[in-house]
Amino acid sequence: MDDGRERRRALAPGSLAMLAPILLVTAVAAWASLRFRGFAVAGNSMLPTLAEGDWVLVDERAYRGRLPRRGHIVIADDPRLPGRQLVKRVEAIDLHRQVMLAGDNPEESTDSRHFGPVRSQTLRGRVRWRYWPLARFGPVR
Amino acid sequence: MNLLTRLLAPRSVAFAHCDGPCGVYDPASARIAAEAVLSMEKKIAGLGDGQDAATVNTRTRFIAIKEQQAEIVKKELDILWHDYFKPEHLEKFPNLHDTFWKAAKLASKNKTEQDPANGEALMGAIEEIHKIFWATKNRDVAFYRANP
Repeated sequence: MDDGRERRRALAPGSLAMLAPILLVTAVAAWASLRFRGFAVAGNSMLPTLAEGDWVLVDERAYRGRLPRRGHIVIADDPRLPGRQLVKRVEAIDLHRQVMLAGDNPEESTDSRHFGPVRSQTLRGRVRWRYWPLARFGPVR
Repeated sequence: MNLLTRLLAPRSVAFAHCDGPCGVYDPASARIAAEAVLSMEKKIAGLGDGQDAATVNTRTRFIAIKEQQAEIVKKELDILWHDYFKPEHLEKFPNLHDTFWKAAKLASKNKTEQDPANGEALMGAIEEIHKIFWATKNRDVAFYRANP
């Protein structure tokens, strides 16, 4: 009996050490879910940067009071289909805040080459992080 | 893992979008437009110098079609040039840019002039591009004309 109780007490600090990372991950996930919005990527036009089925975190406050810059990967309203969002890279932005969007995979991309520039106000946010699949977890550039 | 993925799954979709039929390229679309240009040039020549209203109208119509089709040639060539061809193709075919540049120049010449010789030259340039294109795919595809 005594032996058993001692063993249980000895286990306690160990299980706390195991719990700590789980708590940390949960806290980070909760913070991220408030700060960012998740998007699932569909289509191949952003290969090799983003693949079909990737889950990414988008900073929707990125362009409040700040302009997008060349090279940013952004979520933009589809100028041809209301209600749909596109993910593309900013290729250029001019003085009138007209943004040229391009896919990283031009061979399989419909972008500003076809629909022309979009206004910077139609950008919904900046893609910052891929969180799924875990094997490719990390910042998106 | 199932519960975890369900919790983490995003509620929005971002389209890395592409209109179909992407990845489908063929110099044939440029060739068909170029053949139409050549055909119009021949028809314009066949009309002669008649200045009666009917002939003038027909000539005007042929010229309009010729210019439209020449513009389509330029567009189709551009799609091949900057969407299909990649830097590694340029290494194998160092004359790629020059070939496209000359072909586009020829298309412009076909827009502004009426000589069927320009149409023939344009067909030659497109045949050249046809050869390079199919060589990059390691395929042996014969060049042909709808109107021989």
